[in-house]
Amino acid sequence: MLNRDGQSRSTFWATVLPPTLWVAVFFLVPLGIVWLYSFGQNEGLTGISLTGTFANYVRAFDPLYLQIFAKSIFVAGLTTLLCLIIGFPVALAIVFADEKSRTWLLMLVMLPFWTNLLIRTYALIAVLRTEGFANFTLEWLWNNASGVMTFAGLAPLGDFQPLQLLYNNFAVVVGLVYVHLPFMVLPLYAALDRLDKSLMEASLDLGAGHLRTLFSIVVPLAMPGIVSGVIITFVPALGAYLTPDLLGGPDSQMIANVIERQFKRANDWPFGAALSFLLMYATFIAIAMRSYLTRGKAVDAHGI
Amino acid sequence: MTDTSRKGLFGSASRRSFLSGVGAAAVGLTFSGGKLGKALAAEEKKLNFYNWDTYIGETTLDTFQAASGIDVNMSLFATNDELFAKLRAGNPGYDVIVPGSEFVERMITADLLTPLEHSKIPNIKNVSKEFIDDAPYDPGRKFSLPYTWLVIGIGYRKSKVKEVPDSWKYVLDSDQYKGRIAVFSDASELYRHGFKYLGHSANAGTPDLVKQVEAMLIKQKPNIKAFHEDNGQDLLLSGEVDVVMEYNGDIAQIMAEDDDIAFVVPKEGSLKQSDTLCIPKGAPHPENAHAFINHLLDAKVGAEIFHTIKFPSPNAAATAIMDDAYKNNPAIFPPADVLAKCEYPRYAGEEMTRLLDESLTRLRAD
Amino acid sequence: MADRPAPLEYNRTWPMRLWLGGVFFFLYAPLIALMAFSFNDSKRTIVWRGFTFDHYKKLFNNNELMLAFANSLTIAFITTLISVVLGALAAVMLWRFRFRFKGAIEGALALPIVVPEICMGVAMLVFFARVMPWPNDLIWPFSLGAIIIAHVSFCFPFVTMVVRARLASFNKEQEEAARDLGASDWEAFRDVLLPHMKPALIAGALLSFTLSLDDFVITFFTSGPNTVTFPVKVYSMVRFSVTPEVNAASTMLIVLTVVLMALMMLGQRKSTTAK
Repeated sequence: MLNRDGQSRSTFWATVLPPTLWVAVFFLVPLGIVWLYSFGQNEGLTGISLTGTFANYVRAFDPLYLQIFAKSIFVAGLTTLLCLIIGFPVALAIVFADEKSRTWLLMLVMLPFWTNLLIRTYALIAVLRTEGFANFTLEWLWNNASGVMTFAGLAPLGDFQPLQLLYNNFAVVVGLVYVHLPFMVLPLYAALDRLDKSLMEASLDLGAGHLRTLFSIVVPLAMPGIVSGVIITFVPALGAYLTPDLLGGPDSQMIANVIERQFKRANDWPFGAALSFLLMYATFIAIAMRSYLTRGKAVDAHGI
Repeated sequence: MTDTSRKGLFGSASRRSFLSGVGAAAVGLTFSGGKLGKALAAEEKKLNFYNWDTYIGETTLDTFQAASGIDVNMSLFATNDELFAKLRAGNPGYDVIVPGSEFVERMITADLLTPLEHSKIPNIKNVSKEFIDDAPYDPGRKFSLPYTWLVIGIGYRKSKVKEVPDSWKYVLDSDQYKGRIAVFSDASELYRHGFKYLGHSANAGTPDLVKQVEAMLIKQKPNIKAFHEDNGQDLLLSGEVDVVMEYNGDIAQIMAEDDDIAFVVPKEGSLKQSDTLCIPKGAPHPENAHAFINHLLDAKVGAEIFHTIKFPSPNAAATAIMDDAYKNNPAIFPPADVLAKCEYPRYAGEEMTRLLDESLTRLRAD
Repeated sequence: MADRPAPLEYNRTWPMRLWLGGVFFFLYAPLIALMAFSFNDSKRTIVWRGFTFDHYKKLFNNNELMLAFANSLTIAFITTLISVVLGALAAVMLWRFRFRFKGAIEGALALPIVVPEICMGVAMLVFFARVMPWPNDLIWPFSLGAIIIAHVSFCFPFVTMVVRARLASFNKEQEEAARDLGASDWEAFRDVLLPHMKPALIAGALLSFTLSLDDFVITFFTSGPNTVTFPVKVYSMVRFSVTPEVNAASTMLIVLTVVLMALMMLGQRKSTTAK
């Protein structure tokens, strides 16, 4: 592209320079400092001497931390999967809606996310807790069902036992899905927006069922959106610490909780930095693998 | 709360600065250029106060401005850890901060605080003598003056317990209230009560003792419903748990709303804490800061603050003019014999901090 | 028109409607409960004690909170503007050009998405404390500069990601055709590429507005003594308990953003119909 003409050269620089410079100065420099810290050693309370040690990384490979890593990846993966399953039909609905309702649907998806994360989490707590709305509703249903059964001459159901919906790993996953859903819906919508509906019609005309059409036509076309949706859901979910803190039980500790404590209470910035960068390396490998795997498929999709 | 914050929106020529000019003139008239006025004249009439939210009286900042002409700009932090992390990189311009007592000692060790000049804070005389003398974290009160104080104990729901849970046993080492217990998620607050329960001082932490408490807590874990971030009072009030490790001030607030809730300091004793007024190194307005601390320790001002925030006050002169409902509340002011068994947590060095943290990580991992 | 939905009118089929209904119920039930309790005549949000407007009255008299609102919205707005421009440029750059170090730049652009918040917060703290101190006596809104810079750094890569996903479906021949017809780079960009990117730009803008409005950690570490934002205020408020005043404040924020968004969309629709 560069060789086209003079215009392209200036276009090239105008396009490349602003984002590159911004990232370099306002992101890579700050992050670079923390990266250096990960090879440092605490000196007294506030000093860090850059000794080039790998001690922090060695410590991070302790089975204790590896196990927490594994658990966090599992929880974030489950969250992402649920978001994809829940969000895909929603994205499709937005794509298939007419122009006017499309904007409104988008708004409806985004609206909850203009509420502060902490407040949303507390709102969820009010719903899920033992004396919360979810249990009230269930109790009401239970008692009515019980009444109907008595009326029908059957034995009543017995006393309602409130479900323990909070302070366990289930609550953490529910909370993470609740918080991250739009991160999945938006990229899916963006990728599917100009879906060529004639392709689907052709597929249906040729006798393929709706589900088959979905998986052979829509999913491949949505692949770039799925990949970016999965990444921008999985990564923040992996880095979530507030949700496990507030909704989790005694064993719901995720790696971000540990990292947060290193930078705050434990005052061990080098170790916190090392854990952060290990987390980043792991995600990078995952992303690289993903894009390697989907590269082939994207070509297929074009081939259709 | 105040007009202060408007300044940001409308630049420096705000209504507030105009008012402060008027205020300053008024002070000039009434105090007729005393020592205070002269010292203050050297600094711009501004002060950056870094405080906890809802931790000040409704008119405190206004009365200070009327008296001194100094414009207080209050911003907020939510935990001591955050305060420390932020100041550790350098003071971005705060003049007065309110760290907890354990962090005062940590900050002194880290050389983050400026010594207070007691001669500029005559209202020190209002502070109850025990809080001046009994301050192992800052002997001689060189760097900090007490703003509030607190005791940790057990908040419980009367109708759901058989007897008063007056021992840490019920929380840390018993399945009597299985699934109805919440404890602090902070390692220092949690483990130190373990030390107390096992018959040691809260400050006797050794690697062996930490291991012992860790083993006890891992055994207790299935009985614990939640590790809370200082919102135990909400868990108790909403019926989520029946016994909770919490600060007396927090439980006192919900006792006013629910008769079924009570507070007890366990017989093994517990931790005392005190939130203190300090001036961080590099404060741009140290003179104003001294004047402001002096203002907060004034009897009337103090009474107004504690009327709003309902925490125990170390300010004897202020407590004296408070109403009886506050003064005689056993949750706010536990009996002296109970308090005698409570200790201030001492800063135990970075190694112990990290040891505790890693132990907590092991405890919270499955 | 027919009673039975046509093959592609998925939105008229009952499984789809049920699914959408379920999802929106999941998203909104907690929020509606939250809004309802902002009218609760009690200091807590746990038991309903009757209806009151008191918390809103208190809110409007709470200048500090109002300023925090104003700060947050201003930061989110400016951040979104810069992020959309930078993010779109970066997406076009990655999609269109081949050059040395492209891989490296691509990786660097993905980084902000991957960094744990707290790590980025500390990075920004050290950066603005040691490398590029931001003066804290500037007049508003320049006093918010450090926060805005930090927000743009973590927001615009999200825009890039969404826009890139969109560009993957662009037919490059269209642009070349436009250029063959004599359009300049800029004209081809404006008339061909930009319209194609539009849904992704909107999605990206919404994302970055949301991310910026909601951020606490990075904001906390970059804020100076004069810059309280809404999340910072809320975090310190709930530290002492969740009060209906917090609910009222969030209800206000929701209503305010909805009104702003609706106005923006109306304006946009007018300008497009005018064309």
